[in-house]
Amino acid sequence: MKFQIPIGPQHPALKEPISLRMTVEGEVIRDADLRLGYNHRGIEKLAEERTYLQNIYLTERICGICSHSHTTCFVQGVEALLEVVAPRRGQFLRYLVAELERVHSHLLWLGVAGHEAGFDSFFMYTWRDREVVMDILEMISGNRVHYAINTLGGVRRDIDEALRTKILDSLGILRARTDYYFKLGANEPSFVGRLAGVGRLSKEDALALCAVGPTARASGVAHDVRRDDPYGIYGEIPFEVCTADSCDVLGRTVVRIKELGQSYNIIEYLLRNLPDGPVAVKAPRRAKPGEVVSRDEAPRGENIHYIKANGSDKPERLKVRAPTLANYAATLARLKNGFIADIPLIFAAIDPCICCAERTVELIDGRSGRPTVVRWSDLRRRAARRAGRVSKKRNVECPL
Amino acid sequence: MRIAGFVPELLRHLFKKPATVDYPFRKLEVPKDFRGTPFLHPETCIVCRACERDCPAEAIEIVEVNAAEKRFKMTIHNDRCVHCAQCVDSCPTDAMEMDDKFEISAFSRWDLKEEWEYVRAVVKPKPAAPAPQAAPAAPVSPSPVKPSESET
Repeated sequence: MKFQIPIGPQHPALKEPISLRMTVEGEVIRDADLRLGYNHRGIEKLAEERTYLQNIYLTERICGICSHSHTTCFVQGVEALLEVVAPRRGQFLRYLVAELERVHSHLLWLGVAGHEAGFDSFFMYTWRDREVVMDILEMISGNRVHYAINTLGGVRRDIDEALRTKILDSLGILRARTDYYFKLGANEPSFVGRLAGVGRLSKEDALALCAVGPTARASGVAHDVRRDDPYGIYGEIPFEVCTADSCDVLGRTVVRIKELGQSYNIIEYLLRNLPDGPVAVKAPRRAKPGEVVSRDEAPRGENIHYIKANGSDKPERLKVRAPTLANYAATLARLKNGFIADIPLIFAAIDPCICCAERTVELIDGRSGRPTVVRWSDLRRRAARRAGRVSKKRNVECPL
Repeated sequence: MRIAGFVPELLRHLFKKPATVDYPFRKLEVPKDFRGTPFLHPETCIVCRACERDCPAEAIEIVEVNAAEKRFKMTIHNDRCVHCAQCVDSCPTDAMEMDDKFEISAFSRWDLKEEWEYVRAVVKPKPAAPAPQAAPAAPVSPSPVKPSESET
């Protein structure tokens, strides 16, 4: 006998608002469906009313964890439209912050994976060590989460010799702790027993369902934008793309821990070869009409921004394809024939960022189940009709 | 690793100091360039409105109070401020600055508003004797000037 159980958008097992419909037979999930839109904030529309400079701070707020990835992707695209090239020192600092962000994101994910697997000590230790990176980021940029270091034509702040030495020293602590987590995460029997074999995604499925980032790399697909389509200065940095063949959540853990090691190497390379010179050049405010697609490797996978310029200082269109959206199809495939108790673990394995992914609105007819795309004018008419039915309060002062 | 291979690490941490600090009683130092709340040095503001134009949160508002006296009022709506410090970067005369306060919550968003009423600063082309602030100002071009040339 089949049941359909709804999970979310607000659910204690999930950290972020996502709405799932599971068709279950006993404990086994037979079908999974996903509903987007609960966390839709209209950022793309808002971006059309702001200048390129203001939009840097807006795209930063698409996501809290990979805030720098979104601004990097946006700024790379806009710099191509404005025909400016950031100076080399500015690029080194930009990608230094990008790698530090990858370190903090992967350490955060390790903690979440430990927490979802019931290994809370692991969660506490990884999050404590993550503070080392957070402190470095705060010292570089002046804030822990929204670094706001990117600007059109470079970065906004420089680092001095003392900070450079401090970051290099901190890498030693992080390397030692990451080696310990690798030993622990790949060998501790209770942890491995919980993760191994959960949420399998074969290499063929990962390719067919367009999985990105560590989700795809753990299925043996060696895809990394930094190597496949090098942006910025990644063409000259030596690093390896880490993959695993176990295709399960354990493989995703191993890939992320290995990537931490690669990120430490990249950070060390960037700091040791940091060129002198200015960190930014002056950028014009208006872009010539044109369009650009910008890609970068966020901690969660490939991030794509499409920007269309119409000659003014504001973009005509901004489209964001966050890595979580690309991983949804693969996640639903992995949920099938799994257990209900594995849902949080499987979802945590793609490191979901719902606020990154929610970009579109589609209404589904409750009776026929058919999706309909509603035009803006139609929505306005519905809103006006609804507003007409609401009783009006007299003499109300709206605070805004 | 055998089962309970994690235990030695746990035991070692039993005798360590906590990694956190007792926040309300002890506070962490903020870094040197911490981005706190923006504030204005009204004596150097030439009302070029670069901050108002570039603020991504539309948190800065400059209105003219008296056109003859060239008096202006700047309001920073800290309830909208996203603490990006773009106003500090945009300011040509270094009139905007960030402080290092981080405990800025209030019971009402109206308590977070900050206002400055001031006479527009005059930028002299030559570094001669500084003009008094309240003197009727000569027409000043709103073009950005370098901080070293600015004077009150």
